[in-house]
Amino acid sequence: MPLRQASFLARAALLAGGLASLASQRVKADEPKPKPDNTISIQLGDPVNPQKFARPLKFFVENIADRSGNPQPMLVLKERGGVFLDKQPTQIVKDALEQSLKAANQLAPDADSADLVLRVYLFHFGLATGSGLDFFGKVEFSVMVKNPKAGESQEVKAVGTSIANAAVRKKNLQKNVQEDIEGALHDAVRNFLRGTQLKEAVTALAKENDVPSAQAPAAVAAKPPAR
Amino acid sequence: MRIFAATLLMGMLVAAAAANAKDEKTLFKTAEAKHFTTSEGVELTPAFVDYFYAELRAELTKNKLVNEVIGEGEAVDDADAPKSLVISGTITEYKKGNVVKSALIGFGAGFKSLKMDADVLRRSDKQNLCTIHVHVKVDPRWNEQVMAKSAAREMVKEMRKALTEGAKPA
Repeated sequence: MPLRQASFLARAALLAGGLASLASQRVKADEPKPKPDNTISIQLGDPVNPQKFARPLKFFVENIADRSGNPQPMLVLKERGGVFLDKQPTQIVKDALEQSLKAANQLAPDADSADLVLRVYLFHFGLATGSGLDFFGKVEFSVMVKNPKAGESQEVKAVGTSIANAAVRKKNLQKNVQEDIEGALHDAVRNFLRGTQLKEAVTALAKENDVPSAQAPAAVAAKPPAR
Repeated sequence: MRIFAATLLMGMLVAAAAANAKDEKTLFKTAEAKHFTTSEGVELTPAFVDYFYAELRAELTKNKLVNEVIGEGEAVDDADAPKSLVISGTITEYKKGNVVKSALIGFGAGFKSLKMDADVLRRSDKQNLCTIHVHVKVDPRWNEQVMAKSAAREMVKEMRKALTEGAKPA
């Protein structure tokens, strides 16, 4: 009798183990993996024209830190086999900022020659919770604008959003997700470079040191943008 | 006969395109939508406010009310300021709704309800061009974002109506 009971228990344990292993394999199979056909490349597109300052200022993008807390920052959509980014979000944002600053001749080659150094903290990059009827793209970051000579810094926040249509076909879905994130990225970079927060930060930092002011001479040299 | 039919079709298409272009004439150069604030007692997540902001901007772009929709806190050239708008507002009331009531009674009973007020200001002189009141009711089974979508659509529709009427000569 005890022998029969032991044999039954052994069989039950074997069955349970088998089922658990099957379930774990199923979960692993459901996890999307990056492949060339489900990877998208996010580009800024046309560079954003930054606001003009009185004297030409040079910025340097020193560092971008990911503060999103997302364990898989390159996975933007889990459903339908997944959609992945080809680069880290931090690298994409850095490239976008540098591209725009370079186009306006406001990018310094290194931190030493820069008037202001930018440290970016990325809070959100990719898709956010939407209605389910469309894709809601969101890029949010905060930049510490530092005057290396005075050692003072100011915080500037930027956010970009975009809404794109949902799609049924995988190809269209990837296209829409890509356009959505690109729209949000462009929006966020524009929000930062043309924002009044940056202007105020530059003005405040100019008071600390000899960094040229964006406020006073602007009235003489060029039309200052209204708030 | 075929040439005549083709010419007629072409003419109709050109006329339709011209009428469409006339309808879609923009009234303002830029519009800045701000994040809406919530009144005391309104239990909505910050994600709702974010999503509504995005939807409002998307609807403004889609509706062609303005040439360009700019982000919150972005600068505008002085020359464009008289033809630019700033849209700010408050969510004044939100009722969660009741699924049981909605299923048993129907006819709109137990629906989620959202009330919001928006002020449309001219950027240059901060003159209030119009005040919009929007009241949206949706099925309680739908999520908040669907409600935000319909609220944004309704708001832009009302805004267009108010601004078009305001722009007409007396």
